[in-house]
Amino acid sequence: MQRIKFIDRMAQGKMSRRQMLQSASAFGVGALFLPRPTAAAEVLTCLEWGGYDSADYFQAYVDKYGAQPNFSIFAGEEDALAKVLAGFAADVMHPCNYSVARFVNAGVAAEIDTSRLSHWNDIFPALQSAEGVIWDGKTVMAPADWGNSSLAYRPDLLPPEFNENPTWAIFYDEEYKGRVAMTDNEMAIIIGAMVGGMPYDEAYKLEGAALEAAAKEWGTKAVNVSKFLWTDSSEVQQAMASGEIVAAYAWNDLIANLRAEGVPVEFAKPKEGMFTWFCGLTLLNTGKADEQAAYDFIDAWLSPETGKALIEGSGYGHANMKAFDIADPEALANMGITDPVAMMADTIVFKTPSDAVQEGFNKVWGDTKALKY
Amino acid sequence: MTAVSEPVAASRTRDAERVRRWLRGYGLLSPALAVMIAMLALPVAALVLLSFWTQHGFELDRSPTIENYAQLVRLKDEPTVWFGIPFYFAYPVPAILMIKSLVMSLSATVAVIALAYPMAYFLAFRVTRNKAMWIILITIPFWTSYLLRVFAWKIVLGFNGAINSGLKALGIIDQPLEFLLYNPGAVVITLAHSWVAFAILPIYVSLEKIDRSLLEAASDLGDSKLKRFLRITLPLSAPGTVAAALLVFIPTVGDYVTPTLVGGPGGTMIGNLVQELFLKQNNAPLGAAVAITMMLIIAVIVAIFLWAIGYRRIRSRRM
Amino acid sequence: MLRRLDAVWIYAILFVIFLYGPVLLMPVFALNDGTFATFPLKGFTLKNFSSMAANTSMILALQNSLKIAISVAILATALAIPASLALTRFRLPGGGPIQSFMMLPLVIPSIVIAVALLVIILKIFGIQLSLWTVAAGHVLICLPFCMSVLMARLEGFDPSLEEASRDLGCTAWQTFWRLTFPLAVPGVISSLLMGFIISFDEFVIAFFLTGTENTLPVYLFSQLRFPNKLPGVLALGSLILVGSAVLVIAAEVIRKRGAPSNNPGDY
Repeated sequence: MQRIKFIDRMAQGKMSRRQMLQSASAFGVGALFLPRPTAAAEVLTCLEWGGYDSADYFQAYVDKYGAQPNFSIFAGEEDALAKVLAGFAADVMHPCNYSVARFVNAGVAAEIDTSRLSHWNDIFPALQSAEGVIWDGKTVMAPADWGNSSLAYRPDLLPPEFNENPTWAIFYDEEYKGRVAMTDNEMAIIIGAMVGGMPYDEAYKLEGAALEAAAKEWGTKAVNVSKFLWTDSSEVQQAMASGEIVAAYAWNDLIANLRAEGVPVEFAKPKEGMFTWFCGLTLLNTGKADEQAAYDFIDAWLSPETGKALIEGSGYGHANMKAFDIADPEALANMGITDPVAMMADTIVFKTPSDAVQEGFNKVWGDTKALKY
Repeated sequence: MTAVSEPVAASRTRDAERVRRWLRGYGLLSPALAVMIAMLALPVAALVLLSFWTQHGFELDRSPTIENYAQLVRLKDEPTVWFGIPFYFAYPVPAILMIKSLVMSLSATVAVIALAYPMAYFLAFRVTRNKAMWIILITIPFWTSYLLRVFAWKIVLGFNGAINSGLKALGIIDQPLEFLLYNPGAVVITLAHSWVAFAILPIYVSLEKIDRSLLEAASDLGDSKLKRFLRITLPLSAPGTVAAALLVFIPTVGDYVTPTLVGGPGGTMIGNLVQELFLKQNNAPLGAAVAITMMLIIAVIVAIFLWAIGYRRIRSRRM
Repeated sequence: MLRRLDAVWIYAILFVIFLYGPVLLMPVFALNDGTFATFPLKGFTLKNFSSMAANTSMILALQNSLKIAISVAILATALAIPASLALTRFRLPGGGPIQSFMMLPLVIPSIVIAVALLVIILKIFGIQLSLWTVAAGHVLICLPFCMSVLMARLEGFDPSLEEASRDLGCTAWQTFWRLTFPLAVPGVISSLLMGFIISFDEFVIAFFLTGTENTLPVYLFSQLRFPNKLPGVLALGSLILVGSAVLVIAAEVIRKRGAPSNNPGDY
């Protein structure tokens, strides 16, 4: 208000020069001192997905240290890695099983001493030894949250035959052009190859001419058939709630949110398979804070209370077995599968491609999108 | 006795005066220039250097090479056809995206200027009171966040959005129109809406300074309103209009947020490619080469445009 | 106000509808009792506003953005005024290339500026990332906009006015304050506004150059992953919209009361 009046009076020329100089300097000096750089270098700095910077997920840490750690938000693992490689000093990062290797290969991840984590022994054994948690024989990620990627669809807007036998092929079928949404990710090519009959274990590491052929056939179809390629959950959930799209590549939270709004929606187990991912905390060697604080933060994430908050809040699973004993049974029932051991046997767990393969996929997927008009 | 004749002395004083003026001018420029050099010259120099290097995994190979640029222009025999246009490049993606981006931002610029000019005219000539308030009111929608405005446009154009629901309620359509969102048209509308304030302000500023007595004189001399507008107002507001067009055109070529949000799968632009090369594809040197090529192309287009409209002449026109 | 309802007035009204129409949907859906913003509306609720008020990180992000945007608007305008004067008033050797150099930030894709500045700030200058580094990046991208609007205003003024002022014995400083600056005021206001809205809305540079404090766009972006947080975000957008409009109008009314003006050229 003061500012607007100031502009107005200045605009009228009704302010004397002295007045103007006085206000301007007061304003300028004030503005100069407003944004204060954070001085305390000892505070733990975490690179975190947007939205996971809530105390619900690390209450034990807040109880011990009396304050939240500092967070730097990222939207994708590449952004976070770029920032760390440029010299940003972070202590902890939250990658997923398919991306943690990039941090290890880039030389910024440190080995985790699991004996310093009090909740480690309550972690599902299948997760303790999974690829991604262990890389090159070292524990580089403490698994925390897990979930599924699968096909979500509106049973009320699709023919009953689809209901009986859901398939990923819907994303490559001209008949559904403009009514489905793939994710903006090279998964569109991998799943396409699987629809074409290739097992996931081969599809995820396609290279060279085979990769280009798959991109040309399946990537192009996915790009043409999809109404849009989604990059944030809000976008796809909004479109599915309105009926604009009838099927989408989705995570568990879509089902939880749409059902809460009374929208009929099913999380399919497509005949080609559904996917499982898990994410966790990785210790970075770039940090400046006390290492114990980093371990306390990771330990807080592994606690059953965090698991309860995660299960009830977003419909995702948690790595701590005890979390399932204290979580609301109704939330558990909504999730469908509650045992990651059974789930990992029953679904396709994402694998970690080599850096070269990953970059190859990124390139062909980028090119495929570019050629669409 | 003075050996110097009068005219020489006079020209010396003139020279000294000119040099003093220059020094004053450079003095005034220096703070802004210092900021630009500290923060821009270094990044640009780094970008140029980077574009001559090679990325191997997480290591940078610093031996100079023009391979990154060569990749952009290398030809092959079998063309990649895009929109009926054959591209004979071995790596056609950058060229295709460049053309797509230029077309999109050109359309958006034309739309923005067409929308902004009458409004700026209104502000400069019709609003007699509360001008500052009007100007601030026009910028208020921009104080809410860009992401929220894009989201709002999705609600307007979407499947169960404002337009479709409105038309359905009026009984004009039974089924929602699906062609409103996720296409280049939606990108142009959203871009136009996001950039219109940036165009109104410079145009308004240059209209505002037109000497009203010129307009009165023209009317007194019997010019019709239209003639007066074409002969006086339009030419005199040209510097602001040109500045506005450039302020919209240049940055929108490299924009990538709007196209990805409302453009659908075909919304990729050259900015997306640069972003992907820098981050996802881990090939910053090639990304740098694409960015520099893009900057040069834009610079050439802008130079041709300014030359074509005779910008120098417009600028030096006095009132 | 509506003295002549001619084509220009009708256009202005339509334009304001175009400008405000979409953003006015924010309050509509902020008051709607449903997670998803689709018609038909579900029912009236105020819960989104109370959840917004309780969201301290969002309020903090808003404060950060306001601080940065105000500082950036003032700094960029303060740098742009003398530079525009120099480029329009003094026929400087090398003025053309300097002007082109000043416009360079417009051409470089923001992602490139962001990554390049990130590396330079951390590796070469060794400065910690903070709101300060974001503000510095914003000043850089705002300068061409502020310069353009100021130069459009300053260009073409009769230099003989300034010469006359000096001939009459005014110092350069007096000439600036009494003649040049008042003439430039509409440009200065536009420049401040432009700097403010560009910085307030900028995402890519803020995303890379901020340390552990968020600006509003960075925060909002992070919330897009959580659709159930969206109505709270819309509530904030509505509040900014309504709040700033009310402030502007109230300021104008108060000013009117205080200083009645009959001068038609006054604004």
